[in-house]
Order: sequence, then C-alpha cells, then structure tokens
Amino acid sequence: MGGSIGAAVVRPTVRRINRTAVATLDGLLASRLAGDVVERLAASPLAARAAHGALQGPLVEALAGDLVRYRVADRLLSEGLVEQTAARVLEGEELEHVVQAALESPTVERLIASAIESRLLDQAVVRLLESDDLWLIVDEVASSPAVTTAIAQQSAGFAEQVAGGVRARSRSADAWVEQRARRAFRRRPAPPPGPEAG
Amino acid sequence: MSFAADRAQAVVRPAHAAEAPAPPLTYVGIVTRAIAFAVDAAVIQFVAIAVAGTFALILSVLSPPDKFDGVLLVVGSAAYGLWLVGYFVVFWSATGQTPGNRLFQIRVCRAVDRTAPSAGAALLRFGGLILAALPLFAGFLPILLDDRRRGAHDMIAGTVVVPAPPVEITSRR
Repeated sequence: MGGSIGAAVVRPTVRRINRTAVATLDGLLASRLAGDVVERLAASPLAARAAHGALQGPLVEALAGDLVRYRVADRLLSEGLVEQTAARVLEGEELEHVVQAALESPTVERLIASAIESRLLDQAVVRLLESDDLWLIVDEVASSPAVTTAIAQQSAGFAEQVAGGVRARSRSADAWVEQRARRAFRRRPAPPPGPEAG
Repeated sequence: MSFAADRAQAVVRPAHAAEAPAPPLTYVGIVTRAIAFAVDAAVIQFVAIAVAGTFALILSVLSPPDKFDGVLLVVGSAAYGLWLVGYFVVFWSATGQTPGNRLFQIRVCRAVDRTAPSAGAALLRFGGLILAALPLFAGFLPILLDDRRRGAHDMIAGTVVVPAPPVEITSRR
C-alpha cells in the first residue's frame, strides 16, 4: 500500500523534473552562449587532441567494423542515396565550376602537355595508323555522298570560274579585234547595243 | 510521277529571268565564236578518234581482206561526215547551242525572231560555214564589219549569234 502511494507521488515528480531538465537543456543549446562555447571548444587545442586521440585509438577500427557489420553501404545504395547524390552533383553548378577551374589550372595544362609529349601517345598514333579499321573509316568518309558532293561542287565552281574568266576575255578580244578591223577598212565604229527585242 | 512526266514538266528558262531587266541587244564577235568552234572541233575529233580507234582494234582482230579497204574507207568517211554535219545541225536546230556555245554562253538564232533555226536552216548554215572557210576564211571577215556581226554563213541562213544567259532547269509545280 505504502509502496503504491510512494510510486504515485514520486513518478509525476520525476517526470516533471525530467521535463524541466530537458526544457532547460533545449534552452541552453539554443542560447548564444552554447554556440560560443562550442565554437571555442572546436577551435581549442583540446578538440584537436581529442580528435587525434580518437583517430589513433581503436575507435576507427570499431567504426569500420560496424559499417561492415551493419551493411551501411548496402543500405545506402538500396535507398537510392548514391543516385540522388550523383544526380545532384551532375545537375548542380558546382561540378561545372570545378571542371572549369580544373581546365584553367596550370597543373592540368602541364598534365595535358606531358601526355601529348609522352611516348604513349606516339605509340597510340602509330597503332592507330597501322590499324585497318582507321582506313576503313577514312574510305567510308571519303566515299560518303556529303564529301563527294562537296568535292564535285567545288570542282564545278572552279571550272565555272575559269570559264567565266575566259568568256570575259574573249568578249574583250571581240571588241578589240573588231575595232582594229573597222579602222583598217575605214568603217565607222560599231554601233552601241540596242534595246532587247521582245 | 514518272521520269518522262517530270521531264515534260521541266521548263528551261534563263536564270533570274523574272527579276533581271532585259539585256541590251548585242551580238557575239569573232574571237568568242572562234574559240567556241574550237571547243566543238575538239569534242568532234575526240569522239571520232575514240570511235575510229575502237573500230580499228576490232578490225585488227577480224583481219578483213584487203579488197574491203576501199569500202571501209568510204564507210568511215561517210560516218565521219554524218557525225560532223549531224553534230552542228542537231545542236543548232534543237537549242541553238552546241556544247562549245554553251560553254561560252552564246546561241545561234534566227535573225527575225531570235528562235532556234530549223533543221533546214541549220543545214544551210553549215554549208555556208564550209563555203565561208574555203576562200582562206574570207567568208568570216563580215563578222568584223557587219553591224550584227554576221558571217557569210549567217547571211545565207538568216541567223545571228547572240549572248545566251546560263540556263537552269526547274520543275513546274
């Protein structure tokens, strides 16, 4: 009897104390003071020493063992987290900025230059030139309608250009010869061209 | 639509005929005509030599008797003459342009209405051409002096030679 009365009185009190403690903790965590304290702790040598000690100790092995044991990687993959992350990276502007910065960096430029100057590239080119597939592709491209049409058009254009030049010169020669002949035969100069007959 | 029908609907007209103003009435001089004629002569001789060479090879294998030499000579000469006359008569009467004329963008036409000469007129013009060449090409001198740049053969056949714009073949839709 006495135990049940005690329980009836103590339990609500304990609950109230718990709620008060939790509310106090929430208030404390939300306060500016807590933020300042955490920042100071993170910036202090104590935090560095603590992290150093934790990484040196058995914590890393235990963490890795738990990751394997609880199949954390499989669970993440099954939940599509990796796909979502990859999609976010590919769609975001960050990747573009990173790639652009990488392309503009002198390191990448040096890497590309060394790759071009390397013996590997020469060997690759030699192998490519020796392969039958390359010449098959070249034959295909050379005999493609687009290429043959372009060559034919260029040839026709050049022939037409030459013929046009010859035509212009022959018309000039017509007038010159006629002028000389008319002068030799004491004839009046040729009349100017008349209007087009309908 | 069949190919023949397509060809039947195709029209040949001067390029930019609709938008360009009519060119002044001019006639083509002796130098242009001579070069165009040389091109035609080259075409004629090239074909004749190719054909004659082919027949010569065939005959060298068949080895006909010598008594046929005269006959072959006559037949060959007749074929060459026919080819020579036919070349000019057909092209002049069909479009007024031989391949050489086409290259130099000139055209033979009737002086009165500037249409292509008939086959008879074309044949007459070719005969006049031979006659004009016989007296040391004196028959071509009038081209230099005549106001319409006509040679003796043009006067005989009633033709003139005029500039011809390039033609384009378009499909009438």
